[in-house]
Amino acid sequence: MRRPEAIRIAIACALAAIVFTIFSARLVHLHVTKHDKYARLAAQKHSMRQPIHAERGRIVDCNGEVLATNLPVRTVFADASHIKDPNAVARIVAAHLGIVETEIRQKIESGKKYVVLKRLVPAEVAAALHREMQEQKLRGIYFEHDSIRTYPNGRMLGHVLGFLDHKRKGIQGIERTMNSELAGRDGYRYTERDRTGREIVLYRGIEEDPVHGKTIRLTIDMGLQAILEEEIDATYRDLKPETVNAIIVDPHTGDILAMASRPCFDPNEPGKALPEQMKNRSIIDMVEPGSTFKIVVAAGALNEGKVDEKTMIFCENGRFAYGGRTLKDHHGYGQMSVHDILVKSSNIGSAKMALLMGGDKFHEYVRRFGFGERLGIQLPGEIPGLVHPPSRWDKLTITRMPMGHSVAVTPLQMAMGMSVIANGGRLMAPRIVKSIETKDGSIAENEPRLIREVVPEKTARFVGGALAAVTQPGGTATYARVNGFLVAGKTGTAEKVSPAGGYAKGKYVVSFLGYMPVENPRFVCLVMVDEAKIASNLNYGGLVAAPVFSRIAEKAARHLDLVPTEPSITLQQDPVAAALANKERNN
Amino acid sequence: MNISIQPPAHNNPVHLGKILRISFLITLLLAIGLGFVYLKNRQFGLGEQIRQTEREIRQVRSENEVLLARLAGLSSRPALQKRIADGFIAVVQISSDKIARLTPPAQAVDDGGLRTVFNDSRPQ
Repeated sequence: MRRPEAIRIAIACALAAIVFTIFSARLVHLHVTKHDKYARLAAQKHSMRQPIHAERGRIVDCNGEVLATNLPVRTVFADASHIKDPNAVARIVAAHLGIVETEIRQKIESGKKYVVLKRLVPAEVAAALHREMQEQKLRGIYFEHDSIRTYPNGRMLGHVLGFLDHKRKGIQGIERTMNSELAGRDGYRYTERDRTGREIVLYRGIEEDPVHGKTIRLTIDMGLQAILEEEIDATYRDLKPETVNAIIVDPHTGDILAMASRPCFDPNEPGKALPEQMKNRSIIDMVEPGSTFKIVVAAGALNEGKVDEKTMIFCENGRFAYGGRTLKDHHGYGQMSVHDILVKSSNIGSAKMALLMGGDKFHEYVRRFGFGERLGIQLPGEIPGLVHPPSRWDKLTITRMPMGHSVAVTPLQMAMGMSVIANGGRLMAPRIVKSIETKDGSIAENEPRLIREVVPEKTARFVGGALAAVTQPGGTATYARVNGFLVAGKTGTAEKVSPAGGYAKGKYVVSFLGYMPVENPRFVCLVMVDEAKIASNLNYGGLVAAPVFSRIAEKAARHLDLVPTEPSITLQQDPVAAALANKERNN
Repeated sequence: MNISIQPPAHNNPVHLGKILRISFLITLLLAIGLGFVYLKNRQFGLGEQIRQTEREIRQVRSENEVLLARLAGLSSRPALQKRIADGFIAVVQISSDKIARLTPPAQAVDDGGLRTVFNDSRPQ
C-alpha cells in the first residue's frame, strides 16, 4: 500500500474513532454520571404516585347499629386535551350531572388537562355516565374516588358523634377523639402511563397497601338513646327551656348508655348549625348542681363518723343564721336524722353536716366524688368544673356548697357522682368507647376503669336507702316513681348564676338525678332542665325533671327487660303536664 | 525449477456449514426477538386484564358500600319511625305465648301476674 493512502485511511479511522469516542463518552456521561437526574426527569414525565385511599372506619353502637359510615361518591373531571367532540361530550355529561350544557362546553373548551365538572356525584350516576361515554366511544371524562361521611340517625347522638371538616379530619365528638383510629393510613402505588394516560400495569413500581380505619364500638345503646331523645325533645318543645341535658350511665362500669342535649344539630349538615347547637352540654357546661349535691355531704359525714344513722340534727325550724346571713329551708324542720335530711332536702341539715366535717374534709369528699377534675371521657372539650379549695372560701361557702351552690360541676360529673352511691361506693371513669375493631376481626376492648373507692359500700347503701325514700310519698320527688320498681334519686333546684354577678332572679336550673332498680341498679339517669318557661311555683326539680326521669326510666325498664318487683301503684298526672294540658285546652 | 502456485481460477466453493450456522443464528435471534415481543405483548395484555379486574373489583366494592350506606339509612331509627308514622309499616305487639325466654321472669307478688310498667302521663 502506498503511503498517502495509508495516511488517509489512518486519518479517517482516527476521526471515526474520535467521533465514536465522543458519542460513547456522552453516553457514559448520560447513563452513569447523570443517571439520577435523568431517571428522575423520566419518572416525573411518565410515572406518578397514585394514592390508594384508606377507608374511614365506621362507628357503631354497643349492638352493632351503624351510627356513622361512608358513602362513596365521585369527582367528575375532564381532560380537555383528550376530547375530540366537545358538543357530544357536553350533551352526555349535562344529561347525567344536571349541569347546563353551555357551562360544560365552556369548561371543556378551556383546553385544560384537569377541569372539575362536579364534585360529590353519586357513584351510580358516575357509573351510568362512564357507560354511556364508552358506548359512544368518547374519551376525556374521568372520575376520582371520594366519599362523604354519613350519619344515618341524623341529629340523634349528634353531639357524641361529631363531624368531619373538609379534609375529612374529625373536629368534634368521637370523630375527633378517635380520629387517628378511624382515619387509617392511605397507601400508594407508583405507576407509569402511556401517552394516552392509561396506566401501564407492567411498569408498576413500589406500592403499599392502605391501612383501613378501625371500627369504633360505643357503649351507647341506641334503644335507650332513642328513648332519651324522644323525652327531652318533648320537654324542649313543651317547656321551651334554654337547654335540656340528659344522660344514662351504667353505674357498675361507667358506660355511657345514652347522652343528649338540646338544642342540637345534624352532623350531616354541620354548616347549618349554630355554635350554640353544637355544644355537648353534658361535658362542657358548668352548672350549680343544687340539692343533688347533698349526697356528697351526707356520704362524707357518715363515712367520717361525724354522724350515724341515728344522729339527730336540729334544723333550726327553717331559718339558720350563719356568717351574717340566714340560710333557709323550704319548710321549717326541727330535729331530723340524716335520712330525713336527704328525703326532705334540708339545706340547714346539710350545712350543719358540712360544719361538723370541717371545710378541709368536706372539700376532700367533694374531690373524691370526682368534682373539680376531668373524668377522662373520650370526648373532646370535657371541663373539670370549678371547686375552690377551702383557702379561697368565704365564711358562707361551707354552708352553701353542701346544697350545691358555690360550686360548678358538669352534668356528667353529677351522673358519675350518683353512680358512686348506686354501685356501692366506687367512682368509675366514664367510658364511651367500648372497643376498637380492625377489619381482620381483632378486637381491642376498652376495659372499665375504677378511678377510686370513695366510700365503703355500707355508707353508699345507707345514702341509697334515703334516696329511695325521696321518691316515696313524703319525699320531694314522688313524680319520679316508676310503676313496678323502686327508684332512688335526688332533686335539684338551683338559681342560675347571672353573668353580671350573683344570681339571676326567677331563673332556675332544675334537675333530677336517680337510679333504678334500687336493689340492683341497672342505670343512673340525670335529667336537667335549664330555665323552663313555666310558672315559678312549678319550676322545681321534683315537678319538672322528675316526671321526665320517670317516663325515661319506665321505657328503659321495658327496653332492658327489667322484671317489676314492686306492687302496682296508681300514678298521678304531674302538675306540669296538667298545666300544659290546660294551656293547650285554653288555646 | 520455478514452481509457482497459482490459485484456481474458479475456486468459490459454497460453504454450506457456514451458511447453515449463520442461518440458524439469524433464525434463533429472530425467534428470540419475536418471542420477546410476543411475551411483552402478553404481559401488556395481562396488565390490561389486571387493570380491568381491579376496576371491576373497585366498582363492586363501591356499589357494596353504597348499598351498605343506603341500608344503614333505611334501617335507622328516624327512618323507621317515619315509616311507622306514615303507615308503611306497623308495630304489632308480640303475644306472650310467642316469646321464648331463656330465663323465665320472676312473677310479681300478690296476684302472681307479671306487671308491665305504664306511666305515660305526658300530654300527647
